[in-house]
Amino acid sequence: MTIPGVHLTRIGKGNFLLEPLRSMNIQDQGTLMRDIVAQVQQEQGLCLYYDLNGVPVIDPVYYGWLDKLARTCQALNIKMICINMQPTAAFTLSNFLTNKPVFETALSVPD
Amino acid sequence: MVQKKETSEKLAALFSLKIGNISTQLEETGREFFCADNKLMDEDEVADMSSEFVSLIASLLSSKDPQKRTSPQFHALETFFSGLAQRMLMRGGNVEDVVRYAQQLQYSLISALEQDSGIIFTQSRSVLLFFAQHFNELIMGIFHTYLSERENTLKAQEAELRETSTPITEIWDGVLTLPIIGTLDSSRTMLVMEALLNCIAKDHARAVVMDLTGVKNIDSQVSHHLIQMVRAVQLMGSDAIITGIHPEIARALVSLNIDLTGVTTRASLSDGLKEAFLRMGIHVSQKIS
Repeated sequence: MTIPGVHLTRIGKGNFLLEPLRSMNIQDQGTLMRDIVAQVQQEQGLCLYYDLNGVPVIDPVYYGWLDKLARTCQALNIKMICINMQPTAAFTLSNFLTNKPVFETALSVPD
Repeated sequence: MVQKKETSEKLAALFSLKIGNISTQLEETGREFFCADNKLMDEDEVADMSSEFVSLIASLLSSKDPQKRTSPQFHALETFFSGLAQRMLMRGGNVEDVVRYAQQLQYSLISALEQDSGIIFTQSRSVLLFFAQHFNELIMGIFHTYLSERENTLKAQEAELRETSTPITEIWDGVLTLPIIGTLDSSRTMLVMEALLNCIAKDHARAVVMDLTGVKNIDSQVSHHLIQMVRAVQLMGSDAIITGIHPEIARALVSLNIDLTGVTTRASLSDGLKEAFLRMGIHVSQKIS
């Protein structure tokens, strides 16, 4: 099943890589979240790597989307790890973040 | 206006007749200023410079309107003096020498013309005024060059100081160290943060040890920036370890209600490195002989 606006690829046992595309529309968060989580759960995924390589800035709206997706994953016992966060994105996010985010962060997908 | 034009026309005529003599006399002035003790120029360079100046003055006097200080001929003279000022400053000379040289050049020019023509210019206000107006403008140009050169030097020094005061070193594969020395202010913290985050992205650093041993003071705004820096490092997926916090800084952080939850701190840089190695699964041991 293809999900419009994202690339969701299975990488190894229980791991999924989510790459947002330029066409991703976070205004329609409900449908997007449902489709992503459904596919990961269907294939018995345990960890979702969210690739932030193409996201130069994380503003409160984008953070809201990441937060909701991470909470939904958490409810289904799926760990969400954001990878490849850009320096500019880390800077803007650290500027308004008051608490530790729900998702974990890593430099990249572990070898 | 007519009188002014006549003055410059007469000067141009005089000048074209006696150009060789004037150049020799002006060379003497140049040697006096730049070849004496300071050795800022050699004699050939002074000779070239003097003849260039004479030809520039000649072209100004023979231009359509020598009084006009926006003419290309006057601009060429300005460029000549700003280039000279720039050269002298780069060779370790000072602006006063160049200004005095320009003033002396003016007097020498007048006296050379006086000698060759037999006319006493000191009694002619129009000639003095003509030279004074032009030379004042040229001296202003020299100062302008001096100030902009100085500004450039200061900017370069500032950038160099900034770079050397926050050296980010990859001390081990994937381990960065950042010793911060001196006073941390908001702008410096921002610069450090920018450089650090870029280094993490470039080197794929898994741990960052920030050593504050050299930091004596911290204020509310800076401590928030520091925590923000730690948070940004963690968001990029690296571990941030702060070391060498002075008791006064620890006290300041507590009194400022800075939340250090989730921030790893160690007493010294070596402890911080040990912690970084431990997290990366690196074991450093002494070789048993």
